[in-house]
Amino acid sequence: MDTYIQGIIMLAGINLMAVLGLSLLTGFTGLFSFGHAGFMAIGAYSAAIVTSLLKLPFVFGIAASGVMAGVVALLIGKLTLKLKGDYFCIATLGFGEAIRLILDNFQGLGGSRGWPGIPAYTSIWNIVIVDILGVIFLANLVRSRHGRNMIAVREEELAAQVAGIDVVKYKTLALVISAVYAGVAGAFLGHYMTFIQPKMFALIKSTELTIIVIFGGLGSISGSVLGAIVLTFLPEMLRAVDKWRLVAYGAAVILIMITRPRGLMGGVELTPSGIRKVLAEHRAKRKANAERSAQ
Amino acid sequence: MNAILDVKNLTKRFGGLAAVSDVSFSVREGGIIGLIGPNGAGKTTIFNLITGVYKVTEGEVLFAGAPITDLEPFRIADRGVTRTFQNIRLFKNLTVFENVLTACHLSAKYSIPEAILRLPRFRREEKAIREKARDLLDIVGLADRSDVTADNLPYGLQRRLEIVRALALDPKLLLLDEPAAGMNPDETEQLMRLIDDIRERFKLSVLVIEHHMDLVMRLCEQIIVLNFGIKLAEGSPNDIRNDAKVVEAYLGPGGEE
Amino acid sequence: MTQFFQQLINGLSIGSVYAMMAVGYSLVYSIMNFSNFAHGGVIMLGAYFGFFSMTLIKLPFAAAFGLAAVGTAALAVLIERIAYKPLRDRKAPFLYFIISAMGASIFLENIVIATIGPTFRTYPQVFSRTPISIGGLSIGRLDLIMFGVSALCLVALVLFIERTKTGKAIRAASYNMKAAALMGVDTDRVVMTVFAIGGLLAGVAGVFFGMKYTVYPQIGNITLKSFVAAVFGGLGSLPGAVLGSVILGTLETFVAGYLSSQFRDLIAFVILIGVLVFRPTGIMGKPSEDKA
Repeated sequence: MDTYIQGIIMLAGINLMAVLGLSLLTGFTGLFSFGHAGFMAIGAYSAAIVTSLLKLPFVFGIAASGVMAGVVALLIGKLTLKLKGDYFCIATLGFGEAIRLILDNFQGLGGSRGWPGIPAYTSIWNIVIVDILGVIFLANLVRSRHGRNMIAVREEELAAQVAGIDVVKYKTLALVISAVYAGVAGAFLGHYMTFIQPKMFALIKSTELTIIVIFGGLGSISGSVLGAIVLTFLPEMLRAVDKWRLVAYGAAVILIMITRPRGLMGGVELTPSGIRKVLAEHRAKRKANAERSAQ
Repeated sequence: MNAILDVKNLTKRFGGLAAVSDVSFSVREGGIIGLIGPNGAGKTTIFNLITGVYKVTEGEVLFAGAPITDLEPFRIADRGVTRTFQNIRLFKNLTVFENVLTACHLSAKYSIPEAILRLPRFRREEKAIREKARDLLDIVGLADRSDVTADNLPYGLQRRLEIVRALALDPKLLLLDEPAAGMNPDETEQLMRLIDDIRERFKLSVLVIEHHMDLVMRLCEQIIVLNFGIKLAEGSPNDIRNDAKVVEAYLGPGGEE
Repeated sequence: MTQFFQQLINGLSIGSVYAMMAVGYSLVYSIMNFSNFAHGGVIMLGAYFGFFSMTLIKLPFAAAFGLAAVGTAALAVLIERIAYKPLRDRKAPFLYFIISAMGASIFLENIVIATIGPTFRTYPQVFSRTPISIGGLSIGRLDLIMFGVSALCLVALVLFIERTKTGKAIRAASYNMKAAALMGVDTDRVVMTVFAIGGLLAGVAGVFFGMKYTVYPQIGNITLKSFVAAVFGGLGSLPGAVLGSVILGTLETFVAGYLSSQFRDLIAFVILIGVLVFRPTGIMGKPSEDKA
């Protein structure tokens, strides 16, 4: 296969990993984060320390990236998840920027000039395998009592509470799991680029991830998969108009918000049962309309 | 006496304003009590205090003899107290079945790893709670609407769904906040039958806020009247009907219905 | 000691510019309850408007200022019409507003990169670089003017909100939008006015910012710090926004002066997280209890 295409596939796979995590937090739990690039950064640097400095195999790097991102997320969650939604959103923004600025000023890991010479461990095969596992785990999670509790928090926080759901616990869980995904994505990104730099994890990266989740559709895993693939390939195919890419992104986000805020696949899965659900819903609506006009 | 709920000298102040002051009452096990009073009398505030949505300023709430005053709402729900809302709060984008299934979560104990890896305990418990959700929908007659999105249900059925969702928690005490609001007489009649039915079937104690006097008088064994956050009167439907203070609070001096 | 006062004056001067930006964030928050992240883009374009008025059209300084301010006011209102009004009409949750604002912010930054280019541009020199010395302190002329004009703008804003009928409508709407609408306040007009005012001040602040540093498409990210100041002071509170800005500006200058200039940007976000953890309502914000 063409190495260029291979590169894009790997990039899409890496984006997908981060997007899957964010999808759990934003799409299923209803919390918006503008700091997930920060978790990617933690993952990328932790993994690089393990493989590049400690000379351990990649698996340990991946494990370290997930664990570190998860631990930091737990800390952040404990501190900020009692806040109301918009303040949490602001806190993640502050967290993401703070991580970047700390790495910028930490010369031991290369500072703002970056860290070159990370081994090129990322391959199509390992990223695809991790993506598949990521999708399966996420799909199983959201179709369990734990996932349903997160969805309940998104739908109606107060009702979730009086239904016995520990809202703060489930928000924290969603944040930690999504951070683990982002951290692992960061590990793969570092070992794909073989170079990491704090600038790669700026606010715009967090925003881009959120945009992909929204574009794919809140509360839909297949939407996230679709979104990550389309929004990684499209700009690469249109290299010539690269500088207009983010202009179009910005405009598209506004357009989606004001016209179809649930995204392409909002709440619907591209699975046999998902399609059945849409059809059943459609029939029910028709029936209701018929009943109404009959009266 | 076996009181399932004991409210003692309950007071709630917002800033300097007392929304509820020094209200005491109790609900016997298996009993059904009505909470009535004009708008702004503090009825919903009392519900919010009992269920932990608001922090209590002064006083105490005992459930089955144990204090639940400063517990978080989900812990209070876990103990067996749950409620419905005046302005229905369903999980709107979920189906009827998913609404109830979600609330069944306390009946399953499997962990996240067990869920992710689909281990036997997950399969077993998940099957059990799915059955439970279906049974509950059967009981209240919503089985044929299982796959409809909650938001698309007719209003009366949304209220009914909120009640089933509460039942999924296996509560011992159910608080109903204006369950008949916006219902026509026919629907109200069905609702009363439903409340009677579930009280018996689930050995429930019920506290109900309602403006439909007819419903309160027929359903409740005891009625508490609130006005301006203060308990004005308490007694059987007959006592309340003939209480001069209540008549005045409701209809104004010398008013007529 | 002289160095201390020197830093203090520098801090107050940059703090006052932050204040003009922060007020824009806070005004919008006070009536619409969301953080308008597109504001940074508006400030950035203000810097460009001023720059091009002076270099391309060769307008005198004061006129360039006016043009920039009017331009950003119009831009802010335009953004509201396109990106927020449809959401308001639909009563969408606040998160949609934030996302839409992020979209607008990305759009503005990148359309500037795509059309004008990513290069740094330096304002022509308007004020002499030789500082004025007062009592042993040497104060930059630009700093002095920045402080003076910002203070003037903020006083004008306070008078407008306290004394005029429109100001009263804004206060009513910030207290309770729905109730204000019921009382006959034209909330749509209030929203537009608020965005226009925020835009005006953003233009002035943008020009100052460009003059003090340089002009480039990512200025908006730096102005995020003024948002931090608004949170610090208590989102939605105007005195809070000003106070938060002045404190942040001063603190930042001291950190840069006494510790290291590398930590200057970090301090803002450390403050942000600290405030959110220990006092999320900021210095002057009011706590709220959700109604069931």
